[in-house]
Amino acid sequence: MKILRTFLIIVFSSIFMISCDVEDGENLNGPTTSSIAEDLSRAELIQTMAGVLSDMRDRLGTQIDAQAVAGREYWRFQSSDPRWTADLLTGTLDNNTFYTTAPYASRYATIKNINLLLEGLSNSTAGFTDEEAAATRGFANAIKAHELLMVLNLQYQNGIRTDVADPDNLGAFESYDQALTTIMGLLTSSLTDLANGGNSFPFAIPSGFDLVNEPSSFMTFVNALAARVEVYRGDYNAANSFLQDSFMSMGGDLNTGVNMTFSLTGADIANPLFFALNSTGANARIAHPSFITDAEVGDTRLNKVVLRDQPLTQSNLTGEYDVFIYDSNVASVPIIRNEELILLYAEANHISNPTEAVNAINVIRNAAGLPNYSGGNTAAELVDEILNQRRYSLFAEGGHRWIDLRRFDRLGDLPIDRAGDATFSQFPIPANENQ
Amino acid sequence: MKKQAGYSNLLLLLFIFFPVVLWAQETILGKITDGSSGEAIPFVNIIEKGTSNGTTSDIDGNYSIRVGGFPVTLVYSSLGFETQEITVESNRTVNVVLQESAAALEEVVVTGLASSVKRSNAANAVASITAEELAGNTPPVTLDGALAGKFAGALVTKNSGAPGGGISVKLRGVTSINGNSQPLYIVDGVYVNNNSIAGAGLNAVSGAASGGNASNQDNPSNRIADINPEDIESLEVLKGASAAAIYGARAAAGVIIITTKRGKKGRTKVSFSQDVGFNTIINFRGQRNFTEDRVFDFFFNPSSDPVEEQESRDAANAQVALFRDARDNGRLVDYEREIFGEEGFITNTNVSVSGGSENTSFYAGFSNNSEDGIVKNTGYDKKSIRFNIGHNFWENRAKLTLTSNYINSSSDRGFFNNDNTGTTIGVALTSTLPWADLFPDENGVYPDNPYAASNPLQTRDLITNREDVNRFITGGTLDVRLFESEKSNLKLILRGGVDYYELITTAIFPETLQFQRPPQGLNGVSALGTTENKDANYSAFLVHNYNTNNELSFTTQGGLTKQTFSRNTVRNITSDLIATQTNLDQGANVSVTQFRQEQEDAGFFIQEEINYQDKVIGTIGIRGDKSSNNGDANKLFYYPKASAAVNLHKFDFWKVGFLNQMKVRAAYGEAGNFAPNGALFTAYTNSLIDGNVGIVVPVTLGDPSISPERQKEFEIGFDSGFFNNRINLEFSYYNKTVDDLILEANTEPSSGFTSRFANAGNLANRGVEVSLNADVFKGEDFEWNSGILFFKNKSEITELDVPAFNLGGFGAGLGTFRIEEGKSATQIVGNNADGDLVVLGDAEPDFQVTFTNNIRYKDFTLSFLWHWKQGGDNVNLTNLLTDFGGTSADYDDIELDPTGQLGNGPFRVNAFRNGNATPFVEDASYLRLREIGLYYNLPDKFLKGVFRGYVSNVKLGFSGNNLINIFDYNSYDPEVSNFGSNGLSTGVEVTPFPSSKRYLFHLAVDF
Repeated sequence: MKILRTFLIIVFSSIFMISCDVEDGENLNGPTTSSIAEDLSRAELIQTMAGVLSDMRDRLGTQIDAQAVAGREYWRFQSSDPRWTADLLTGTLDNNTFYTTAPYASRYATIKNINLLLEGLSNSTAGFTDEEAAATRGFANAIKAHELLMVLNLQYQNGIRTDVADPDNLGAFESYDQALTTIMGLLTSSLTDLANGGNSFPFAIPSGFDLVNEPSSFMTFVNALAARVEVYRGDYNAANSFLQDSFMSMGGDLNTGVNMTFSLTGADIANPLFFALNSTGANARIAHPSFITDAEVGDTRLNKVVLRDQPLTQSNLTGEYDVFIYDSNVASVPIIRNEELILLYAEANHISNPTEAVNAINVIRNAAGLPNYSGGNTAAELVDEILNQRRYSLFAEGGHRWIDLRRFDRLGDLPIDRAGDATFSQFPIPANENQ
Repeated sequence: MKKQAGYSNLLLLLFIFFPVVLWAQETILGKITDGSSGEAIPFVNIIEKGTSNGTTSDIDGNYSIRVGGFPVTLVYSSLGFETQEITVESNRTVNVVLQESAAALEEVVVTGLASSVKRSNAANAVASITAEELAGNTPPVTLDGALAGKFAGALVTKNSGAPGGGISVKLRGVTSINGNSQPLYIVDGVYVNNNSIAGAGLNAVSGAASGGNASNQDNPSNRIADINPEDIESLEVLKGASAAAIYGARAAAGVIIITTKRGKKGRTKVSFSQDVGFNTIINFRGQRNFTEDRVFDFFFNPSSDPVEEQESRDAANAQVALFRDARDNGRLVDYEREIFGEEGFITNTNVSVSGGSENTSFYAGFSNNSEDGIVKNTGYDKKSIRFNIGHNFWENRAKLTLTSNYINSSSDRGFFNNDNTGTTIGVALTSTLPWADLFPDENGVYPDNPYAASNPLQTRDLITNREDVNRFITGGTLDVRLFESEKSNLKLILRGGVDYYELITTAIFPETLQFQRPPQGLNGVSALGTTENKDANYSAFLVHNYNTNNELSFTTQGGLTKQTFSRNTVRNITSDLIATQTNLDQGANVSVTQFRQEQEDAGFFIQEEINYQDKVIGTIGIRGDKSSNNGDANKLFYYPKASAAVNLHKFDFWKVGFLNQMKVRAAYGEAGNFAPNGALFTAYTNSLIDGNVGIVVPVTLGDPSISPERQKEFEIGFDSGFFNNRINLEFSYYNKTVDDLILEANTEPSSGFTSRFANAGNLANRGVEVSLNADVFKGEDFEWNSGILFFKNKSEITELDVPAFNLGGFGAGLGTFRIEEGKSATQIVGNNADGDLVVLGDAEPDFQVTFTNNIRYKDFTLSFLWHWKQGGDNVNLTNLLTDFGGTSADYDDIELDPTGQLGNGPFRVNAFRNGNATPFVEDASYLRLREIGLYYNLPDKFLKGVFRGYVSNVKLGFSGNNLINIFDYNSYDPEVSNFGSNGLSTGVEVTPFPSSKRYLFHLAVDF
């Protein structure tokens, strides 16, 4: 009987217990992706877009360093991670380490932010007007195109995935050419949306985008990006027409453009590409000596490098000049600016209209304190000159030199500093893509 | 581990061979009975005090002993009973009633949440550690540190040498890859929090997480370090699910049950002890033997450009000149010794008062522990106050026990481990050359270190990295016998406990530091993290005992449990400080992060235990648990258990005389492990651009349907006792599997996430544990007890539903862990010289052996513990960093290069350049004298004479930790972890805080 009694007590208590509910766990530390994707409020649109613009900068330093080292613009010294002076100069690349994976993943994280935003926008019950929705789509797709292009710049002939909205069902890899077409498609749909996007964006635009802070002016930025893509694709006619509708200005300030901004406030991040002058081997960007020795006499763009108090040596590489294109850790980093557009224009015209190309080249040369171009007008000569101007004008800014020489199949022009070093044309597909 | 007060065969021999009576003999007769049951006690040892003369009682409790004369003192002792001394004045019958001893408590092990079973009836290999074993040899710095080598089946690893904790305890192998792998600690029924909270925000300075591994590598301490080892009466280790199933959803990594000291009825006892000592580094890595040529070679880079080459030659010659100058003037500095060469002062003071009246007993303990580190401005300080009280009422039918503990600790941890900014003391040292002048001038101004981003002396002297803890742990148990009859009784047990702490982490990096100077530096950083943690647990149990006439007894128990957890961490980081100010508002840039976590678990359990005459003991039980941390908060997860033990020696057929105990046992159980925080959700994190707050996706994709990991363990074994338990041999084999392994597996980064949580694999651990304990010699003046433990474990990923992935290192070029089906869970892989990914090692030791000895000669006792860990590999990256800096002690030795050309330094650098990880994976075997203690008890006679009975015991002694360390590992200590306690990634070394050996002197007085 006693056992029975005990048993009954236990059974009753257990039933009591089971009926006593435990509340579902909540995440207390931030909104979740599902809540954004299922319904986007006005406030959330502002925050997700700020997130997109903020995330664009994530690991930017790693990507630009990796491309700039690959293009022998500068050496990246980091005593605690000498892969900068090993793998990236020998060309023996690891498909599962930071220079391969970090920029790649960061760009796709930004794309994820955009996809969630777009999904939320289409499911939104917040009553966005058609104009607001179109403006938002136009803006978001342009950024998405830019981010995909950044990944494609790393991966080149490996191709990339462009359809990545569903993590459980990712789209197939597209070839380099196909991916450029997809990117172009995003930019043209962006332009269509922006044209129907009314007069203002329903979200905050950071100061780096002041030049293009409403749908109509933003189209000049999208056209600029499109011109870059068309030049990469070699469609110079299309590039030309996009450039006409971009913010390119032959007489304007070469630095006019769209920028990523940085600050030290709160969760904001500092400019990852800034190091103080005379940094130690712990962390330094040392200009490749050829940047100085190859320069034309009087080129003021040599002010992008500064003679160090002492040369710095690491891994059998010695340099005397610090890269110094940003003067503080809150300086802005350009996404695309007038100087590049003028050079794109020169390139777009160098076959069809060499004179116009030379005019554009001279704008750049004169701005750098150099006399007019005096070389020949053959395509090959002009390409040499354009590549040279791009090297100095866009030095250390976006890893352009590596991309440019690759476009013209001239990576062999790059200087090799040590026995065993070599160049490479693309980063491996990250191991975790399981390709 | 138990010391058996067994009858000495040796004495028996003496008895047989020396029957010759040299003087008149008298015989004393009598019967010995049990004070509680009144039954006769067989096999009681009876010894004439001060001689080797002795006998034992027979099966009916009768005895007879011949003595040389009167008066004579007889000592009656038997396992599980209080030893009694009786002085006999004349020849008479001496009947003795022995009381069950308090020490008999040692001999029960917990099998249910509300009940225990005699160890001799237990079906699991439950390890028990007494106060003496835990802290008797030498007082540990922290509780978990004292566990190493004390029981079979554990891999205890110190993460760094910084005093104040940071220890990983793994019971029977790795039980989780990404979830919690540290055991659950329960102190007097209170679930005690053992988090490691990286609250300091050092990453803002070190940038450690910005490189190849997203871990902050902050190396915080873990919170079990707060429990004062001196307060502990006993500690029990449930190593896996077969023993711990009844603890359910949080028990998969094992459970460590701690009971603190209680007062005893009788005279109030006051104990005082004082330890004083010091610690020093175990092992220096050493200095490179520089010569002028070596300096030149290190700095000179041949170049095809003659101008450049000349510049390099000039620069190298300039360094040679600096070196020559420093060498000739005796100014070469061993900066390693400068930083790590301190002797840290240790002082421990413990005072306890305990006693009790008929109904009430109490224990009050106060302790103050203070230990400086081997680096200036590091150290650990702890004050702990404990008050335990027990009260019996309602004619002893009810008992209330309250335990409370307040702890205040402060730990200065220095600035070590990996970074990406060249700023930690450890990383800066790797490239600091001995001719650098880093000492401050008379104004206290430190020169910049030309060879690193920071001046390690300046960093050491000026930074603060402190953890302060204020903690209250309090619990209560009410035990009421609701009903009692001859055959049965029913008990109600109500229990509750709260563990509350506030952890304040302070990190201050003043603007004067070399690496804080703008524009590159942040111009001073002050970071303050505050964590408030409150865990509470409540439970109610009913226990019913029922005995049948044929000595079959049933114990039925059931109960309900509920636990709540809440944590709130707020971290503020201010940079660009105003002058020397450190308040958070005294700077230009302030950032705040907050992390909150709430969890609620509820469960029930039922268990039935059947005991047939102590011959066959069977238990079955089930636990059901639900938690807000599961995908479905109200889904109950069930964890069953079943076990059986058969005491063969109790059966009539047992005729093996020398084998007096033979128990075979088998147990099966299941236990769970919750998904780690964040596994359920994909929560945005915040960001900021141009003053606009933004939200961005995290790196890890959550899984809303995640379920807990389920561990299933089957254990079999036997416990045997030889020659009246003079020798004990225990053997266990276990096979434990973990299903639904929660993996933060890599995922295609194009998804926007680099990893995702999923239940995606199974893991198995198999191992054996053997323990042999012997009373080698047992006499009045000389006793020698010796114990050997042998244990080994092998793990295997038996199923993996996601592609194999690397984790916990810095990539295949440097050696990394890799989760791969069919392979060991702790394998270390890396690229070999041919660029192929191969297995380079395994963090799991091949086996471990410990050898314990306790030797007493008269009033001297000597105890020591040797610990041999064979195998188990580390990823040692400190070497590589010192190679880059040109400072490795073995830089110029030619040992590694198979062609015999290159020194070790250039060889490793070359290997690194070629992506070859082989030289970085090193065998981390060791043999160490973990503990040794030599004590002297002042003789009773002396005490009585001098202190007139006010002092009952005075003990003096010397002890040490890690005094002898033998290893081939090429750094400070093979016991190291750059990534802290949890998960797999122990055994990665990047310029840690070196570990130390300790020397201590002791004085203990009991009043």
